[in-house]
Amino acid sequence: MTVVFEPKPSRPAPSTVVGPAAWLRQNLFKDIPNTLMTILGLYIAVTVVGWVLNWAVFNAVWEAENRRACLDAVGRSGACWPGVAEWLPNMIYGLYPKDQVWRINLGFLALIVWMVPLWLGGVKSKVAIGLSAVMLYPFLASYFFLGGDKGLVWSALIALGLSGLVWAWATALCERATGLSVGEWLGLKVAGATDDLKQKRVRQGAMAALFLAGLGLVSLWSLPEVRTQYWGGLFLTLVISGIGITFSLPAGILLALGRRSKMPVISMLSTLFIELFRSVPLITILFMFNTMLPLFLPEGSSVNQLVRAIVAVCLFAAAYMAEVIRGGLQAIPKGQYEAAASLGLGYWQTTTQVVMPQALKIMIPTIVGNFIGLFKDTTLVSIIGLFDLMNMARAVGEDSDWLGLFIEPFFVVSLIYFAFCFAMSSYSMGLERKLSAGRDR
Amino acid sequence: MSRVEGARKMIEITGLNKWFGPFHVLKDVNLTVRDREIYVVCGPSGSGKSTLIRCINQLEYHQEGDIVVDGVEVEKGGKNQSLIRRNIGMLFQSFNLFPHLTVLENCTLTPMLGLQTPRKEAEETAMRHLERVGIADQARKYPLQLSGGQQQRVAIARALCTRPKIMLFDEPTSALDPEMIKEVLDVMVELAEDGMTMICVTHEMGFARQVADKVVFMDGGEIVESDTPKAFFSNPRYDRTQAFLSHIL
Repeated sequence: MTVVFEPKPSRPAPSTVVGPAAWLRQNLFKDIPNTLMTILGLYIAVTVVGWVLNWAVFNAVWEAENRRACLDAVGRSGACWPGVAEWLPNMIYGLYPKDQVWRINLGFLALIVWMVPLWLGGVKSKVAIGLSAVMLYPFLASYFFLGGDKGLVWSALIALGLSGLVWAWATALCERATGLSVGEWLGLKVAGATDDLKQKRVRQGAMAALFLAGLGLVSLWSLPEVRTQYWGGLFLTLVISGIGITFSLPAGILLALGRRSKMPVISMLSTLFIELFRSVPLITILFMFNTMLPLFLPEGSSVNQLVRAIVAVCLFAAAYMAEVIRGGLQAIPKGQYEAAASLGLGYWQTTTQVVMPQALKIMIPTIVGNFIGLFKDTTLVSIIGLFDLMNMARAVGEDSDWLGLFIEPFFVVSLIYFAFCFAMSSYSMGLERKLSAGRDR
Repeated sequence: MSRVEGARKMIEITGLNKWFGPFHVLKDVNLTVRDREIYVVCGPSGSGKSTLIRCINQLEYHQEGDIVVDGVEVEKGGKNQSLIRRNIGMLFQSFNLFPHLTVLENCTLTPMLGLQTPRKEAEETAMRHLERVGIADQARKYPLQLSGGQQQRVAIARALCTRPKIMLFDEPTSALDPEMIKEVLDVMVELAEDGMTMICVTHEMGFARQVADKVVFMDGGEIVESDTPKAFFSNPRYDRTQAFLSHIL
């Protein structure tokens, strides 16, 4: 005789395992040493936060003429904020002319505007929009920041940047409202075209028209030149690290692929480059580029000091990134390559569609860690005389009114660095969660 | 007489030799597979079964001998490997689905990328094949959300989407639970009945009995014997084959 097997229903877990009370008991008050550590930790946290709050807020001086007045009022027990407040514009914009500062603000606003669609729901082409920002925004920004004479090529590039921004938003709005791409929507609404070829033509036509309109606008519009000597502060830090970060990822990918290449020359050159730049401190590379590069260049030609620093940072960051990416590539099982090969995919198809997406996903924490490291490493450019955020903070204490005021500006600089790094870190954690959702058991 | 007597030769291997460094893995292997024929290859591990079928689609390169796939000579060193692979689908022991793509995207990747099929058409074809292996309802899931048997069936559908003339199976059921082995074998039997040319490296002797035209026994890099399943199982000629069969039957 057959008996029907009935599985038992699952019961909810007892309250000793789940719920806040159980969590507290298990993590904070499990046994006596654990409880003692919890109390000690709490005590240290409260004391430190108390000190900092007392110094930075309750005992602080908010209005004073100079450092002498601060010291007379509270001595060293409270912070002296007026000096920092007076220097804050310089710490953010460097020596950029005051009446031109709006260009920096507008430039960064443009970047934020460009990136907003990445957080909007219903937008399908997020990767394309992100890529367009990375590839085209620098052209637009370069003119905002630098200004001056723009030749034909630069005008075209700026127009490309401008039309890229408009197209990115058009794509975002169109996909959000209709679910179609701009090309499909224009094709349908304007030309009534349903086939791919016609839609492609309409899309290309719209892009060309947008580009020409941008070109016209760019040629009408001009900004006075602000030479890079006047760049400084947070602005300079963001420019150097921004270019370093955007350059290091693609360059690192190519170098990592090069190092793993089966072609000996490519693999050797990549390895040589990576090992060379990884085994020398960034300061050394900065010095080399700053002092030695001009010696090798032909007489009379000169390379801007900022450009020298940026090139040095980029090459250094690319070498490090290459090793991170290579680590990710090595984590991809051989079976993935074999499956792709047996399906008839070629090297680049396998790399871009199968291997790289997986490798980059695994390496997100390390990649972002590298970005954060790079962002902080840019403080080293102060060594070769560029007035980045860090160097600007030091300049506060050398001002005759605020002589010796170092702790307060460095405190503010720390907060600024923390805000940026923490934002990057949180974004990477969010990205990891989003990418792994539903894909791992 | 075989049911495919006189049919077109799909795979013709003559005098195949391969070395891994100093190790001689394949020794003078000769094998001819005709259109619609099903070959089952068995043998102890390390006997060169997998290497043999991996040489056919050039996942491994051979050093001596000729391999002709559907009339096209395989050039040594993988010079025309993409041309050869276009006609061959392959299944692996560890499925090797792409974990970052959905089941449907796994199936449409190659048709859209390599063969330039429009998305809509590629998706319709993919759904048809997924239907056939019985997982159409899981098309939007990611491979790691499926059971092993379902993953292997997706792998079959993915291979079919490239419209192969020959399918190679490299121990497709060795990593599966007994209950899942059957669901994969059922799909393979169906494929065989539909007239696919297949070479299966497997120890599923029930499958061999049911559909194989020839069973090949390999040991030490050589084909020891090759016969119809009936003759192979009831009356093996070599003592080595008998010893092997006594262990697995």
